[in-house]
Amino acid sequence: MQIKPIITYSGSCPLFRSLESQILNAIPLDTCEWRRTFQRPTKHVRLEAQTQQFNVAPLEKYKQGDWSILEHPILHIFVTECNDIDTYKATIREEIDAWLKVLNSYGISDWMILLVETLDMRKTKNFMPRTTVLDKIRLDFGSKNDDRCISVLNPAKFEQKSTESFRCLVQRIRFLMLTSYNRNIVKYEEMIRGKREKRNHEGWDYRQYFFMQEDLALIFEKLELPTEALIQYDELDAMFSQFITLTGFNEKQQWLGHFKRPLSAFHGICLTRLDRFEMREKIREEGVSLLEFRNYLFERQAYLLLTSNDIPEIAKRLLNFLFSTLREVEFIKLECQEGALCCWEFVCALEVLQLCEQAMEPNEVTCFQHCAPIWNLAKDKLYELGKLCGLLPGCTPTSEQLHIVVQLSSGIGDAPPDQPQQFLQATPHLRDRSPNRKPKKSAAQQLKEALGSNQAFQKLYLELAELAISTYKHVERLRSARLVGLDLGNFYCALNEPHKAVGFFTDLLRELKAENWHMLSSQTLLELANCYRKMGDSLAYTKTCSSISCCVELETLVRTFYFDEFLKSMKTLKTTLSAQPSSENANFCVLEDHFRILDIEVLNQKPIIQDDQVLVQLKLESLYPRSVVAETIKLCYELQATPLELAMENVSLTATPSAQKVKESTSRLKVELQLVYKQDNRLHSASVACDMPKSKQPVRRTSSTKRKLLPSVQGDFTNFVQAENIALQPGVNCIELKAKATRVGNWQFKQLCVSMSSLEFLSEQLPFAAPCFEISTKPASATLEFKTLIAGIVQPISLNVSGGSFIFPADAKITLRCSKNLRLRQAQDTHDDASFESLLQVPLLHFKSFEERNIPLEVLTDMPGRKVSKHHEHHIALSCPWARSELQIPIEFQPAMEATCRLHTCGTQKFLQVIMKGLDAHLLLHHAKVKCDVPGVQLLDLNPMPQQPIEIYKSLTVTYLYEIQVEPLKTEHELPIVKVHFVIKYATLTQPEVWRSYGCAFDLVDYRTLFKLQAQLEPNELCRLRTVCNMNLKISKVHENPYTDLMYEVLNDQNLWAVCGRSAGVVSMKDVDSHSISLDVMPLSTGFLPMPSIRLSKYTAGGKTKADAHSKVHPFPPGQVYNSTKSMQIHVIASVAENQ
Amino acid sequence: MAFCVAVIGKDNAPMYLTTADMEQELDLQYHVHAALDVVEEKCLIGKGAPESKELYLGLLYSTENHKIYGFVTNSRVKFIVVIDSSNVALRENEVRAIFRNLHILYTDAVCNPFYIPGESLTSKKFDRAVQKLMSGNA
Repeated sequence: MQIKPIITYSGSCPLFRSLESQILNAIPLDTCEWRRTFQRPTKHVRLEAQTQQFNVAPLEKYKQGDWSILEHPILHIFVTECNDIDTYKATIREEIDAWLKVLNSYGISDWMILLVETLDMRKTKNFMPRTTVLDKIRLDFGSKNDDRCISVLNPAKFEQKSTESFRCLVQRIRFLMLTSYNRNIVKYEEMIRGKREKRNHEGWDYRQYFFMQEDLALIFEKLELPTEALIQYDELDAMFSQFITLTGFNEKQQWLGHFKRPLSAFHGICLTRLDRFEMREKIREEGVSLLEFRNYLFERQAYLLLTSNDIPEIAKRLLNFLFSTLREVEFIKLECQEGALCCWEFVCALEVLQLCEQAMEPNEVTCFQHCAPIWNLAKDKLYELGKLCGLLPGCTPTSEQLHIVVQLSSGIGDAPPDQPQQFLQATPHLRDRSPNRKPKKSAAQQLKEALGSNQAFQKLYLELAELAISTYKHVERLRSARLVGLDLGNFYCALNEPHKAVGFFTDLLRELKAENWHMLSSQTLLELANCYRKMGDSLAYTKTCSSISCCVELETLVRTFYFDEFLKSMKTLKTTLSAQPSSENANFCVLEDHFRILDIEVLNQKPIIQDDQVLVQLKLESLYPRSVVAETIKLCYELQATPLELAMENVSLTATPSAQKVKESTSRLKVELQLVYKQDNRLHSASVACDMPKSKQPVRRTSSTKRKLLPSVQGDFTNFVQAENIALQPGVNCIELKAKATRVGNWQFKQLCVSMSSLEFLSEQLPFAAPCFEISTKPASATLEFKTLIAGIVQPISLNVSGGSFIFPADAKITLRCSKNLRLRQAQDTHDDASFESLLQVPLLHFKSFEERNIPLEVLTDMPGRKVSKHHEHHIALSCPWARSELQIPIEFQPAMEATCRLHTCGTQKFLQVIMKGLDAHLLLHHAKVKCDVPGVQLLDLNPMPQQPIEIYKSLTVTYLYEIQVEPLKTEHELPIVKVHFVIKYATLTQPEVWRSYGCAFDLVDYRTLFKLQAQLEPNELCRLRTVCNMNLKISKVHENPYTDLMYEVLNDQNLWAVCGRSAGVVSMKDVDSHSISLDVMPLSTGFLPMPSIRLSKYTAGGKTKADAHSKVHPFPPGQVYNSTKSMQIHVIASVAENQ
Repeated sequence: MAFCVAVIGKDNAPMYLTTADMEQELDLQYHVHAALDVVEEKCLIGKGAPESKELYLGLLYSTENHKIYGFVTNSRVKFIVVIDSSNVALRENEVRAIFRNLHILYTDAVCNPFYIPGESLTSKKFDRAVQKLMSGNA
């Protein structure tokens, strides 16, 4: 069908015909700017045209309002070659006038007067007339629109010169045509609107209206406005749908009957037709079926979309087109053969897909987004057809079904004759396919082949399904792809190739599980179980049965059935599993599918001591419909990362690590301290920031690999608590898990593993923050605690036992062994000293680990009778149950008091003075006694008999006096030492009734008086100050002794006495009993002055031997010299002279 | 009027799903699940212009018998409504109205202090109201 704007001509017709071809050829050579009305964008349009001789008939139609813009002449040209004004005036003018009147009478103003100049006017310039014919014409007709009058040099005669004028003419024709279109389109649209208003009138015919509006569309198409053309088609489409679906088929719409012809043929759309308007003629002349009409409409729309290079839109529209057409067929109750519509849909779908595939680059996702469901539809339709015709796997077509196939095949129609892609060449950017790619068979042909045999059907179905899946995947519609996979899997199952189906089912299962679509995932599990059973994969079958029996969404009957299967299959596993070279970890199952971990609690008291039993209570909900027995349940734990590391991870770069330890609980917000420093390191600002994890995209894909069907990782099960042979009832079970705490540290539970037969159910992740526990160890220790200890009295001492992580046996004890003279006992009220022992066993009754116990003890040590006050050193050896060696603890005592003795002489009488000096303790003293075992020596107690015990405390001294009587018969030579024992009883103030003895031994030596000293001052007893007195010194021998040479010295106070002359001298007592020495002394002070004291020493003269060159002086011990005048006082009075 | 109404949580797990026809339930569930693909796509496209927060996503896809519409709340909860595609009288505006009402019902249901966000919706009141909405006389 040719669509070319019509130009009419009148006047000098032969002349025009001579120019016609030239003009018509010239019009499409260039574009013309089209200024459109209503501010629509200007457009450059390339026009074509055809010519007709002027004819009134179309104008008549135009006037009546029954015209088509397609057939309506768009420009009327009057041609003349009159050069002579006179002839013009005589004839032409009237002709033109009449022509214009006719045009005017039809309300047409699209005209043009063309004056063809055959004479060369310019050559005869000289006699050029004042006015030319053109001027005259313009004057007469073109008063308002002189651009409609144009002259042109006859190109046939002036080949060179005419070019310019001819170009002008063509340009003008183009322009006027477009101007005319502007006007006519508006008018035509008005007419369409008017017609449309009447659509509910009796006798209105859609088909008429359709052609009317389609003509407009065709014009738009011609004028290179495909979008506007498309709008016309879309309007027609919508109107048609409305008629059918809304108003229904009633009397008013008689025209619908034309479309209500049976669908004997159900050709699909064909986007590669040679004659695109073949159907248009058919519609106009014979009438077509609804399907054919719809096909035509869609083909037109598709063509226009293709022209505007919007292939994705074709794909987008297809489904809607198919579905709405189906609905229309249903609405007007068209009879058609079963499967016919499926065939039609299939062919249509494939046709569009082929187009898309050829035209689209793979990265044009928008197109493929629409293609993917089309592939799926094609697959579904093929399946339906296969079902209808008995082509599904496992079926063989019956003769009836074969009959159907034949009928359908004939209805599908033949593909349009093979043509070299004429239609598609319209689009410049079709993809270049590699040459070895086979040209696709047409959709209809493919379908026919598929219906022809089971093999071809299967091949095509699998191909389509794979394409649907891959396209869905390509546009990242994974869920949809999995859904197609479900169909494909089922198909494979029907083909008895379950191993191929398994992949699709597991993919789908993973997808569904990842998003918790339990009901769907349990359905998929059923499919999987079916596959595995067919495949004979008993391990996978067991696992799947197990999963199914735990699906709460399924009916109990189904679950129990699969539970029984599970148990049955598990029994066989043991034998089969070893034979199968199963891949690693194949026996792992996801624990969460079968059990729910509700709670994990460490039962031990904290902290757990190394080598102790760790007791963990696990609350596990079993989802099995009946009870199962788990051989082992293990819960592994791993060392916890130190909190410090975790804290460091959470601190941003600007922040200083906060001291606060961030706990790894997931629910907590990450609040951080942020400190911003200035350049000079001063604080600029401090803030607290809460870093929320970036909110996820609305429906961001939780990566499908995130949740695996198989737990791939088995945690580190080196440390675990476990329980064995536990029957797990449906519902909540409390299980106690045990293990020996071997390693010290902070531990956290990581993974639970339930083993049944050869299956291992491993948890992915504990559902809550797993509890932590600590296994620790601490050495036990025992120490003695005491303050300053005092010997001789009961002293408190404390044994501190710190248990640490040592586990004490029930009869544990600590043995304390004391050094000599030290005794111990546990603190008690008794005062019986007998309870003190030197070896003490302290029982540690019910001693628990980490307990700290202070055991009060009492120590007592003897006060040794030493005269010197010195610390008494002792030690206690501890032997503890946790240690092999003894522990020596040094311990020091201070004496409670000390005793010293002095020997006093009075002439030959001897006295013993015992001085008790109180030290730290506050004591009572009683029953002092001296004892001397030496025969002949008696000690006479001179002390008063005390009634009350004497109190003694620090810095207080108590003195006891005894006279020593030595029997004269006993010579001194026999007794160089006299041992005297001093014994006294003492008690503490706190326990006054407990008396202990304190003994002290004194050695008496040199107790015999050998010499006696006497001093006498002259004048006797009365001295005057600074008056020299005579001091007579008398040394007499009391007992015989070997000391012959004696040295005397006068030791005087320099302030009191002055010795005149020698104050010292040596006398010899050899053979003499006494010696008298006279000295002069002078008192220097008044009052009662002590007599100058005299010291007597043994003298050894030097020079007798070589070794002793010097003389030596040895003092006498105090008991051997008795100074009878010691402490005598001399009364010194002031001198006479001074008195005067 | 509607075959199926589904409320799908932000992690794409179904929170509520009801179908008018029990026999079709499985099939519809599969369709609703697959519709999430399109929701995902549409939300991604809308990501560029956050101001134009149109919660109604329109027709997600259609099959021969069903039309599947989507709606996503600001908290990324998705509503999917499956509509009988033979019901040509149903206008887009009515679908919008269904979603609007559903949104209100959902908001009321999750305002229940005893409801834990993210759990499936078990409120009987919500269920009754949705059933009413589905039958078209809400």
